[in-house]
Amino acid sequence: MTTYIAPVRDMMFVLNELADLQEVGALPGCEEVNPELVESILDEAGKFASEIIAPLNASGDRQGSRLEKDGAVKSPEGFKQAYRKFVENGWGALSCPPEFGGQGLPQIVAKPVQEMWKAANLSFSLCPMLTQGAIEALVHHASPQLRETFLPKMVSGEWRGTMNLTEPQAGSDLAAVRSRAEPEGDHYRIYGMKIFITWGEQDLTGNIVHLVLARLPDAPEGVKGISLFVVPKFLVNPDGSLGRRNDLQCVSLEHKMGIHASPTAVMAYGDKEGAIGYLVGQPNRGLEYMFTMMNHARLAVGLEGLAISDRAYQQALNYAKERVQGRALTQPGAGRVTIIHHPDVRRMLMSMKSQVEAMRAVAYLTAGYMDQAARHPDKTERARYQGLVDFMTPVVKGWCTENSIEITSTGIQVHGGMGFIEETGACQHMRDARITTIYEGTTGIQANDLIGRKMARENGTTLKVLLEIMRADQAKVARVSDPDFNAIAASQNAGLDAVAECAEWVVKTYHQDPAQAAAVAVPFLMLIGTVCGGWQMGRAALVARERLAAQEGDESFHKAKIKTSRFYADHILPRAVAYRHAVVQGAEDALALEENQF
Amino acid sequence: MSVLVIAEHDNSALRPATLNAVTAAAQLGGEVHVLVAGSGCGAAAGAAATVAGVAKVRTADAPHYKEQLAENLAALVVSLASGYSHILAPATTFGKNFLPRVAALLDVAQISDIVSVVSADTFVRPIYAGNAMATVQSKDAIKVITVRTTAFDAAAAGGGGGAVEAVGAAADAGVSKLLGQELTKSDRPELTAARIIVSGGRGMGSGENFKLLEALADKLGAAIGASRAAVDAGFVPNDYQVGQTGKIVAPELYIAVGISGAIQHLAGMKDSKVIVAINKDMEAPIFQVADYGLVADLFQAVPELTAALDK
Amino acid sequence: MKVLVPVKRVVDYNVKVRVKADGTGVDIANVKMSMNPFDEIAVEEAMRLREAGTVTEIVAVSLGPTACQETLRTALAMGADRAILVETGVELQPLAVAKCLKALVARESPQLVILGKQAIDDDSNQTGQMLAALLGWPQGTFASKVKIAGGGAEVIREIDGGLETLSLQLPAIITTDLRLNEPRYVTLPNIMKAKKKPLDTVKPEDLGVDVTPRLATLKVEEPPKRKAGARVADVNELVQKLRNEAKVIS
Ligand SMILES: Cc1cc2nc3c(=O)[nH]c(=O)nc-3n(C[C@H](O)[C@H](O)[C@H](O)COP(=O)(O)OP(=O)(O)OC[C@H]3O[C@@H](n4cnc5c(N)ncnc54)[C@H](O)[C@@H]3O)c2cc1C
Repeated sequence: MTTYIAPVRDMMFVLNELADLQEVGALPGCEEVNPELVESILDEAGKFASEIIAPLNASGDRQGSRLEKDGAVKSPEGFKQAYRKFVENGWGALSCPPEFGGQGLPQIVAKPVQEMWKAANLSFSLCPMLTQGAIEALVHHASPQLRETFLPKMVSGEWRGTMNLTEPQAGSDLAAVRSRAEPEGDHYRIYGMKIFITWGEQDLTGNIVHLVLARLPDAPEGVKGISLFVVPKFLVNPDGSLGRRNDLQCVSLEHKMGIHASPTAVMAYGDKEGAIGYLVGQPNRGLEYMFTMMNHARLAVGLEGLAISDRAYQQALNYAKERVQGRALTQPGAGRVTIIHHPDVRRMLMSMKSQVEAMRAVAYLTAGYMDQAARHPDKTERARYQGLVDFMTPVVKGWCTENSIEITSTGIQVHGGMGFIEETGACQHMRDARITTIYEGTTGIQANDLIGRKMARENGTTLKVLLEIMRADQAKVARVSDPDFNAIAASQNAGLDAVAECAEWVVKTYHQDPAQAAAVAVPFLMLIGTVCGGWQMGRAALVARERLAAQEGDESFHKAKIKTSRFYADHILPRAVAYRHAVVQGAEDALALEENQF
Repeated sequence: MSVLVIAEHDNSALRPATLNAVTAAAQLGGEVHVLVAGSGCGAAAGAAATVAGVAKVRTADAPHYKEQLAENLAALVVSLASGYSHILAPATTFGKNFLPRVAALLDVAQISDIVSVVSADTFVRPIYAGNAMATVQSKDAIKVITVRTTAFDAAAAGGGGGAVEAVGAAADAGVSKLLGQELTKSDRPELTAARIIVSGGRGMGSGENFKLLEALADKLGAAIGASRAAVDAGFVPNDYQVGQTGKIVAPELYIAVGISGAIQHLAGMKDSKVIVAINKDMEAPIFQVADYGLVADLFQAVPELTAALDK
Repeated sequence: MKVLVPVKRVVDYNVKVRVKADGTGVDIANVKMSMNPFDEIAVEEAMRLREAGTVTEIVAVSLGPTACQETLRTALAMGADRAILVETGVELQPLAVAKCLKALVARESPQLVILGKQAIDDDSNQTGQMLAALLGWPQGTFASKVKIAGGGAEVIREIDGGLETLSLQLPAIITTDLRLNEPRYVTLPNIMKAKKKPLDTVKPEDLGVDVTPRLATLKVEEPPKRKAGARVADVNELVQKLRNEAKVIS
């Protein structure tokens, strides 16, 4: 079993050279943010991830969280101590608002750190991540009193939060939520069943703050009739101490394919007298509030795809350097070699490495856009960046998570038979990765969002802006006279043409026949992701070339960057052409059969 | 010019490490002298005089040398240094403790832990936990050196006929005091001198389980060692530790039981003549240096091995 | 009481170094660097002494190129109050380091200097002892327990035969062994605070110290490689091989 080493060097390269850390550092409230600070944060977080969290990944997978008597959940060995350390060391509060005890660091710092937690131990990372989501919901929408009561302890990590959206009949379609909330004095009584609630019950913290979607008695049907409530496991006394147990319970835990350590709970609210809950914000605006946090949560799950891919890559690389099998094609006379000498193993490792680096660049870039959208002093700039964030979020979520399934699978392939054996640890990454394309909105839902709200509704304006930026960067690559750069530029050009053509097709088709557009929404999403990856890898190659010319920095790293970019251009980016074909030619084919012909 | 070796001893006898240092000293050219500083250390001095190759033993017998405190010992050595081209001590906790003081007071570098003598001013020493071997040359007038004992054979402990000469004591620095010692008592051979070592790692699971190794060691007349993980876990005392920062050993047979084989552990034992690894994790790096690897549950294999030795 | 804690920037504990092909050294150009683990223990011990009320100020010192600032920032984030970098591009050997530290001790007048017992790169295990000699101070090397009381230090040391306890007059030098403590993880709030703590830079010349190396490294080579041997199927085969093939047991 290999451990996880945080790729701080590549992270810093992306932050400094591609994702504009400097510009974020110039934003109001980010004055302290500079490369040195960020590097020391990443170094220490990386150490914590490697030494405290990563060692619990395999054992947590084996043991899983277990349901005990009376609906209590026992987390795997070591999780409680690790969580306590995590909280004591302040990691949970990294991006939380300073007024509630957080460090207020921007997303461009938070996201690389999150990547580390996720790569080290996806199950573990979900616990702080969902708390983060709940904190954001309260910060933006809850009354001052609710904020005072819950936020300081959630930011400090003493309590943690959950998200209770899904019900048996309401998954992708949250409009179908049926849980009820009945007013009673200054609070509500909540009744209903929630399923698939991540870390819905646990033994890591003293209290659990559930955010629950439910309907008021007089609420209109559909999306406009859902409200958001805070429902704590233990009621909180006026002096802040824990009071009586609320009427809510974990009634079972799911048996899952992966993320075994993360308990996925069925939660029953109000089996007895009704669970006491407090309304967040205005009645009937619950889904809207959820949507304001959606970008964060979705980007975070996109990061999971990136993180687990990197973990799988590290594991495969280690194995490839150790496993001796066969002789080198070029030196058949010499002795047996480690498998990294075999060209096909090289190809697999390159495909993992190049996609991981491309995803990292696109994800951090989006995190930087998020900070600009939130903090830029100029209103029009904020709006421009918000457009980019809204556009990129479903892409990062869908593309990175779909890729992770392929990449973790390749990781197994590199191992050969040992990859299929659980002890090796390669399987776990693939099993864990598999949830990422599903929760927080399936890839299909991301793609619908992309072609509908983010494309058709604004006639593709944001994508046009993005295309212009990408074209300009491609032109810079094309100007370099060097075979690697020529190849990258040519591949980028084909990808950009594909995007331009498909963008037009999607906008036009969506307005005429949305079902046709939706039928190829996922290939369209993958096209955008793949081409954005190629764009960033091209920029990375340009920077690397500059550094090499100036004889600055890490020569071998920069040379590898150029070659990795070239590999992406030759092996991964050409998929754009195939996606284009599916998008502009294939919609009708997907819908061609009658239901009874299947 | 002569070479001075500082003897490690307990006043009544020499510690074996001294003999390895004498061998290294003999390779430098020049007479080998041995300093025995202690209190009532006549017997140790006598023993030193019989070591093959030792031309002269100088002995400083005074109460404040009884405990070999670094401050006092260093001052004494410095007072004697002028006639010597080299001053050597074994790279044990004894030698490592005081010899750098000598070097600093003489304003010369110390060359730590040498594993071979290339010439009178050039030596090979391991760096990076033995992952690299550096050949270094000293430009100083006096070379102050600690000697990795496993890299040099022990000089014969009898048959020599060196003269014994008393030297005056230096002043007592009086800044430190020994309050007590807690030495591990054992009938088994000392780790650094043992022909066979049985060593346990984290895989042993508890200190109690080291009994399994004791039974095996008793059969083999072996010493018992441990990895850092086992010592950190409190299974056995610190002086069992073999590794980069523990003891360096090179027995004829090293049996590693439940030891994964971190670089830092390998650094302390990879010069053993024959290495056996018993570990249930077939991927454990220890197998990469083992002459004989047995993938097995140690709780089964060790008692079986102990029993099989009777047959 | 003031404590000085020297910290060295070294190749990270987990990195397996490779010898350069030209034999001039090991390749450290692009490898991860960290604080020497024994020095982390030293900083931690100083922190514990401060938490116990014995120590009032912790000054971290590093010597070497500008990049050593990172190591000092780590020490500051662990809890040191301020830092001093003795900046030089010259390869520093223990004697030179001890001389620079002696000069800093003269400036700072600490009662205690806590150092790691050895650095995991050159494995010299000399600096603390040399500094003690140059200052004429007592030393407690390879410490596994430290107690400061009644104007002195009581140090339990790890020695080859077991443990011994020394009583030292202050000021004194202590060098740390592995089991002295387990260093804490740096917390995020402390990383943020570390940026605002003072870090001064001096040059060896400012301290009046000649740091010219005394030892010349002529070459650096790979150690002889041990080949992995054979797997044996069971205990009987093992015993048979040890008896008849290796002939190490009878
Ligand atoms: C391990 C795990 C943890 C989870 N954690 C939480 C949690 O903490 N909190 C929480 O509230 N929920 C959680 N969920 C629920 C998760 O968000 C939903 O499972 C997910 O949104 C999909 O909903 P569904 O399972 O009902 O699938 P369905 O909505 O039934 O989807 C089935 C298939 O139909 C497709 N589909 C559905 N509608 C459309 C559409 N309009 N257009 C195109 N395709 C469509 C989907 O893409 C999918 O392929 C978790 C789920 C799991 C498995």
